[in-house]
Amino acid sequence: MEASFMTHLRSSPPGAASFSGFERFFREEYPAVVRIAFGVVGDAQAAQDVAQDVFISAFKRFPEPGESDHARAWVRAAAAHTALNAIRGERRRERRQRSAAVEVPAAGPEETVLDAESRTEVRRALSRLPRKAAAVLVLRHNGLSYAEVAEAMNVKVGHVGTMLRRAESALRKELQNAPRT
Amino acid sequence: MHHVPSPVLRRLEDEPLAVPDLARRHLDGCGRCQAQSTEIAADAALAARVLASPPEIGDIDLEWILLQDRLSRPDADRRPAVRPSRRVPRRLVNVSVGAGTAVLAGVLAVGGAAAAVLTTVYSPTQVAPVRVSANDLRAIENITGVGRLPSNLQPSGSMRLSFGELSWSTAGRPQQVSSLASASAMTHLAFPTPPTPPSGVGAISSVEVQPLVTVTVRFSQSAGPAVAGSTLEITVGPAIAVQYGGTSGRGNVTTLAIVAARRPVASSTGATASQLETFVLSRPGLPAGLAQEIRLLGNPTSVLPVPVPSGLWELKEQIGGAPALLVTDPNGFASGVIWESGDGIVHGVGGLLDKQDVFNVARQIG
Repeated sequence: MEASFMTHLRSSPPGAASFSGFERFFREEYPAVVRIAFGVVGDAQAAQDVAQDVFISAFKRFPEPGESDHARAWVRAAAAHTALNAIRGERRRERRQRSAAVEVPAAGPEETVLDAESRTEVRRALSRLPRKAAAVLVLRHNGLSYAEVAEAMNVKVGHVGTMLRRAESALRKELQNAPRT
Repeated sequence: MHHVPSPVLRRLEDEPLAVPDLARRHLDGCGRCQAQSTEIAADAALAARVLASPPEIGDIDLEWILLQDRLSRPDADRRPAVRPSRRVPRRLVNVSVGAGTAVLAGVLAVGGAAAAVLTTVYSPTQVAPVRVSANDLRAIENITGVGRLPSNLQPSGSMRLSFGELSWSTAGRPQQVSSLASASAMTHLAFPTPPTPPSGVGAISSVEVQPLVTVTVRFSQSAGPAVAGSTLEITVGPAIAVQYGGTSGRGNVTTLAIVAARRPVASSTGATASQLETFVLSRPGLPAGLAQEIRLLGNPTSVLPVPVPSGLWELKEQIGGAPALLVTDPNGFASGVIWESGDGIVHGVGGLLDKQDVFNVARQIG
């Protein structure tokens, strides 16, 4: 029953045949794309939405991606950037909503870092980092090698360490300085 | 050599073999580089801790289906309307599929009634969501008088409303029948069943038939000059509702319900569609938000509004080329999908199943 169920899932949608060249790529890359998106947005449903958007765009660029490393790198980078766009939009909304918020003195660095490990604080910190820094952080910490990060970010491999070092340092500072709301 | 650059120290944390031996030897004997390396390692560990994602990635099969559906559309770039809402009411978690069937039938009836009063000739061809709160539903009940109907509704009867008289007649009471063939013979509705139900769904446990219902509203003078004297006649059904039991170990729980009903049709002897719409939107007690949702439906003569309670997520999809509305609770405890096929039949599938299972059942019968 399971086999026919899966067969049906794969064959039933109208027009499915025209996407067959993309399906294998989708199935192989989807977990990585969702993980990267989740690392940024911190919400499973939102990460799935990001992944859908990424693969819609990817299909237009690479309708028959085959084994293309470029396509693979592209979707991962797109996952990071699309997810960062999502939380930056969220940050803008929050800023508008909190226009009258009362300032609260920051806690000590150690205590703040511990608190800041909450997903919300991480998202806010990421949204305050420069875009490339945030992207390289998310990609590297979701399992991409230096070479893969370099391919995704279109930089030299030797430059990844520099970017990563700066980004991690910036992330720590953002988490330490995160306002306690 | 010079001190080891910080990017190299960073890479040493992840890919030590990619770092030259010379740098590693320097690090072994340099306190300054070791201190910097410790700081870098701490930053890297912090980032790894806060950015690591859990392995849960969702249902790839469903996501692939959803992606294909989006790619098939001309507006593929537009994200479907998924509206995460507030916390799910606890009672929704405990709802049974038997109740789900009733809700689904209710949705069809309320949708039909709500839509019908908007039009003189109403024959919907597609479904569309209308977000409603508990307040909105109470307001609809008060305005239409549905809330005052007795629970043991007689096959025919009438009641007075503030704007006229509402009467109804049915071709018979709802009844359980012995087989799908009997149900189809009584209603003249084809009723396809899923060849491969989801895991955990057992055999058909009941087949119920709801005969055609005709509802008539005669508007009195108190309804206002635009619609006074008009008669609006709405037909809903007939319908077939089928429930499935569980597999062994799941007891008598109904796991899946499928409903098929002929689409509601309305006709008016006088008032025009726009007059009826104005009448509905001007009813005292109609919440402003609901009024806005009704306005947003677009052409009211061709849309079957499906009330979507607050706290549920909705997803616009396609079944067999027809627009479909997938509704699920955010925790994945229960899901339902409704759509109208090209032959004028409104289909509903719901159950204590996740959206993938419900969607797959709908695709098998759609």
